[in-house]
Amino acid sequence: MNAGPGGDALPPIRPPATEAAARSRTAPPAGVVAFGSGFALPVRRAAVLTAVGVLLLTVAASFATFTMGRVGIAPADLPAALTGGASGADAFVVERLRGPRLVVALATGAALGLSGALFQSVTRNPLGSPDVIGLAAGAGAGAAAVALLLPGQVPVSLGALGGALAAMALVYVSTGTGFRNPARLVVAGIGVAAMSTALTQYVVYAVERDKAAALTSYVNGSLAAKDWSDATVIWAVLLLAAPLTALIARQLEIGEMGDELAGGLGADPARTKTWAVLLAVALSAGAVTVAGPIAFIALTAPQIAKRLSRGTGPHLFLAALVGALLLVLADLCAQQLPLFDNLPVGIYTMAVGGSYLGYLLTREWRKGIL
Amino acid sequence: MTTLTKAPAGTGDRCTRRGAGVVRNLLLLSAGLVLLVLVILASVMFGSRATSVAEVLDVLSGSADPYVATVVESRYPRTVLGVLAGLCLAVAGALMQGVSRNPLAEPGLLGINTGAAAGVVTATAFLGATSATEAVWWALPGALLAGLLVHLIGSAGGGTSLVRLVLAGAVLSAVLTAFIQAVTLSRPQVFDSYRYWVVGALGGRDFDVFTAVLPFALAGLAVAALLASGLNALALGDESATSLGANPALLRGGGLLAATLLAAAATAAVGPIAFVGLAVPHVVRALVGVDFRLQFAFCAIAGPILLLLADIVGRVLLRPQELMVGVVTAFLGAPALLLAVRRMKGAS
Repeated sequence: MNAGPGGDALPPIRPPATEAAARSRTAPPAGVVAFGSGFALPVRRAAVLTAVGVLLLTVAASFATFTMGRVGIAPADLPAALTGGASGADAFVVERLRGPRLVVALATGAALGLSGALFQSVTRNPLGSPDVIGLAAGAGAGAAAVALLLPGQVPVSLGALGGALAAMALVYVSTGTGFRNPARLVVAGIGVAAMSTALTQYVVYAVERDKAAALTSYVNGSLAAKDWSDATVIWAVLLLAAPLTALIARQLEIGEMGDELAGGLGADPARTKTWAVLLAVALSAGAVTVAGPIAFIALTAPQIAKRLSRGTGPHLFLAALVGALLLVLADLCAQQLPLFDNLPVGIYTMAVGGSYLGYLLTREWRKGIL
Repeated sequence: MTTLTKAPAGTGDRCTRRGAGVVRNLLLLSAGLVLLVLVILASVMFGSRATSVAEVLDVLSGSADPYVATVVESRYPRTVLGVLAGLCLAVAGALMQGVSRNPLAEPGLLGINTGAAAGVVTATAFLGATSATEAVWWALPGALLAGLLVHLIGSAGGGTSLVRLVLAGAVLSAVLTAFIQAVTLSRPQVFDSYRYWVVGALGGRDFDVFTAVLPFALAGLAVAALLASGLNALALGDESATSLGANPALLRGGGLLAATLLAAAATAAVGPIAFVGLAVPHVVRALVGVDFRLQFAFCAIAGPILLLLADIVGRVLLRPQELMVGVVTAFLGAPALLLAVRRMKGAS
């Protein structure tokens, strides 16, 4: 395993092309990977190189996760430790302390990135992410409600799952047009988030301080104290949802050209959208259940993927890879930055993701888009 | 809150029937004042120990028994703060909605709350502020700065819209929230005072808080009063306003400044309170039309009524415990917003 700078493989970040410009450029000719007769995925050389670059960076960040800090494993011992050849402190770090946490971070980040890409493709709205429309706030409220009403009887993560699903149902019903109208989606999300946040804050006030601090950590999205069962849950969700996503990827790309054109090409846009939203909610819900509502990964990962890739379409696969990389990096900061002790990872993603979103928005506003 | 899309329009027919309108408005005004007095009385009466009208009157005349007097008098500060905060938030909402011609503008969506929160947290964590009164002096500049930043981000490249301001508010709120959470989670003492402050409550504060924010509220109100007729001209469009001798840019800037002062005063005093600034102007416009002089006067009455009523509900609902007023307004306002979403037109 080489920790060398994998970033060399990355193409320079291009200024984002406008949608129209991106569309007018024909994608480079592609090879096709086919699995049987039902499923074929066009593969572009540049996309593969980009994906490999992101993967290398992720490997480097994972390597750093194991080796840095006070109980870090010496780089020379890492291969042995990973293959089960270590004992004592190193084995503890790999099997209990950092291993499960890293494995959870990888899958959670990938799930969030994939979910955000699906949402943004369906809503045709670069900001359509589960964060913006109240899923995270709903999950927090669900967790808080369980912590207040049924302490110790129901796992907090189940409350988060219920809250997230309830919030999405409420947004869906109250817009009157499902997930289609971006402005309505945002306003309905504001309403649902306001209610959810009020509930969460009340509970944080009403319970005693230690519980309140634990709840606040969870509500910010935390990867602390994850074990292998958490890893199993999120990887199961990811591995179930990913093939289904791949099945509709082509349809989604056609759908981005507009419903009428898509219909003319033999696609069924309405059914594709329903499936995509269901998958996106399932992925987000899985991530929220395991790690709490981690902010902004779902929003930013697809945006970064779009800027790294040269083609059109939703960049589902690349968004998942970027999501995994972002979360592993953020968690590395959460574990190693000496500034604050053991902050939940969601605080880092919120600070960095929020700044990045602000940068993105002001730049697009200057150019008169949006 | 009645309509989202209709609000800025609907002037014409109301302006024509002038004489009848004045009588009607005077009647409405006196009805509103009577209602406000009744609500203030109720705010002093209800709580974990309810008192009767006779007891309250005894306390006011100084002939009640000391226990009842203590109970009733303990409700004075929260009532006074409720009146001030409700008034400030409602007028600020009317200003923001008028200036941006945007029916959804509300101080809470535009980063002022998190700005005030960041100020409070900074003061308690790093500058040794211990009481709510001291924190007020940091909540105010925090809120003012945040409001300014949101408008700067939102107007990057010229032109502002609802979606832009709300997004800019969300961006700034995210970054400030990360700061607030990082500080509060690593300092238990700060966390303890913050988790109470952030819900938005009228209780647990004394008259010092009121006197601390009063100058800012008065300044905001004075600017609002000065701008009222200019804002009426602005509502006709920039060109008409200019030909009427008004300066649109100055009016907008002054309006946002006044709104920010008012919202910052309210938030510094009682914490973030959602939806009062959003909902009250809509109700008022449905009653008296879009004349800003009338809007401000009626907002100044209706805001306190709504906020005090929400506070009373919060005191009575979970007796003997209390539900903070911020929770009550969120749960009253959010469903109203969700119902209104369906009436929104088109994309943005």
